[in-house]
Amino acid sequence: MTLLELNNVSVHYGRIQAIKDMSFTVEEGEIVSLIGANGAGKTTTMKTISGLLNPSSGSIRFAGEDITKMKAHIRVVQGISQAPEGRGIFPGMTVMENLDMGAYGRKDRSGMAADIDRVFDLFPRLLERQKQLGGTMSGGEQQMLAIGRALMSNPKLLLLDEPSMGLAPQFIRQIFKIITEINSQGTTVLLVEQNANQALARAHRAFVLETGEITHSGTGKELLANPAIKEAYLGVG
Amino acid sequence: MLPSLLASMPMDNDWISFDVPSLIENFWSATFDGLTFGSIYALVALGYTLVYGVLNLINFAHSEVFIMGCFGVWFTLSALNFGPSAPHLGFWAIVGNLILALVVGMIVSALTAVIVERVAYRPLRRRNAPRLAFLITAIGVSFSIQYLLYLWRGPSPERALTMFHPTPIFDVFGTIIDSQQIVIVVAAVIMMIVIDLFISRSRTGRGIRAVAQDPDTATLMGVNKERIIMTTFIIGGILAGAAALFYTMKIPSGVQYNGGFILGIKAFAAAVLGGIGNVRGALVGGLLLGLIGNYGQILLGNSQWTDVVAFLVLVLVLILRPQGVLGSSLGRSKA
Ligand SMILES: Nc1ncnc2c1ncn2[C@@H]1O[C@H](COP(=O)(O)OP(=O)(O)O)[C@@H](O)[C@H]1O
Ligand SMILES: [Mg+2]
Repeated sequence: MTLLELNNVSVHYGRIQAIKDMSFTVEEGEIVSLIGANGAGKTTTMKTISGLLNPSSGSIRFAGEDITKMKAHIRVVQGISQAPEGRGIFPGMTVMENLDMGAYGRKDRSGMAADIDRVFDLFPRLLERQKQLGGTMSGGEQQMLAIGRALMSNPKLLLLDEPSMGLAPQFIRQIFKIITEINSQGTTVLLVEQNANQALARAHRAFVLETGEITHSGTGKELLANPAIKEAYLGVG
Repeated sequence: MLPSLLASMPMDNDWISFDVPSLIENFWSATFDGLTFGSIYALVALGYTLVYGVLNLINFAHSEVFIMGCFGVWFTLSALNFGPSAPHLGFWAIVGNLILALVVGMIVSALTAVIVERVAYRPLRRRNAPRLAFLITAIGVSFSIQYLLYLWRGPSPERALTMFHPTPIFDVFGTIIDSQQIVIVVAAVIMMIVIDLFISRSRTGRGIRAVAQDPDTATLMGVNKERIIMTTFIIGGILAGAAALFYTMKIPSGVQYNGGFILGIKAFAAAVLGGIGNVRGALVGGLLLGLIGNYGQILLGNSQWTDVVAFLVLVLVLILRPQGVLGSSLGRSKA
């Protein structure tokens, strides 16, 4: 079943067009990666899906419903959760308070308790650091917290905007492993990355974004094997 | 030209003098009275601090939110037959009437705050207006309300109202603390504690802190930012309405179209002194400003000095510690 569908979406910042007539779908159960260079429009795409930005034209459907005009805070309740670029940890709140923020729109206490257990299972480090202020954690720990927090709304679709940004290699491998695990537990993942190697290897399908337009699409493996993409995004390796 | 100018000024040498014995003699009464005024500043300061916390906006119209509350209190008490001398009522009747006036003051102030946010600030937010537009609008709204009040009620203060005659309660080092001072300080501090707990413990309080720290991420958590903004205006209005009752109690002839102006500036100064955006800072800043003003007035022997001294201290504190006494972050103001 199609979970997310963008139809000819354009997004402007004032007169600057950051996204041009973009269309793609994310099927339930998939990991879909969106790769592209700095400034390609990856974050803009994510914010448009989560509702922080409004498209100037086109439409977005989620779980069969048109959400183009839906307010961002309602989309969270409907099942779209975003871990923003740069992690967006509330520095003055503890790890536990940050996780509670992720469940802000929820009232089902038993479901919340189950989700906090799930998050602590995925990230045992967060369990140990419950009382630590978010702002005093390392980059890798903050990224774990950001993903854990995004899971606290029990989303159908998890949006991850460059989760590997600024992390040491061993952390990057760990984060990608956990993303696959989250997906195998039933959460659909839309992943944005400059780190194309891992993002393509882990993805069912992927898109390449260049200056606001999708230029390549295929399975993760296909794009990994594509010489043009190798050259542009995968470096020598 | 300068000498002739100087000659035309009253140049007796005692335009400033330090009356230390007087300060020592009156130290405790100045302290208690300073804390009373300081509590009122603190309540109003919270409104500046909360709105600044979530919007990074100095809501200059907050002084008018306060004075509208004063008018609400005044009309309520007038309707209840309060006048220049305290009414002959039993203890509980007075308490009941004052609580009624308090509630009306809170409602009028909160409504004013909500209307200002809806009519002035929200449309600007919708249009992504630049910072300066907000600031100019805030000042414009402040003056608009003042002059609407002027057109309606005229230039002179409303008839003075006495709510009750302060009775001595405690004797501390030979100085009497009266019932009025106790009512004001205790009520104000209780309200501040309630608000502090609300911000640090409740779900909505967490939402307020989240919006203050990072509005976009807060929205991604499912926080309705517009509702949080409205809530902070309402809380600020409620506290300003409470301050309105206490202020009218302390300054019976203070209900006047421009009566919020000076108090608003002092409350804003108190917020900055304590650390703008910081809930506890508002309390500390308010009390400090009340004390400093009172000590300065007695030391220098003239009530004109109250504000001069208070603002000199403010400037000094800001030079030495620009973030205010407790630092400025609503996000960090947790228990
Ligand atoms: N707030 C903004 N105002 C104006 N232009 C912006 C803004 N945010 C992003 N852009 C522009 O939109 C384009 C896409 O940016 P972004 O989506 O952040 O790219 P990416 O996440 O792929 O690095 C860039 O050209 C960027 O300069
Ligand atoms: Mg980006």
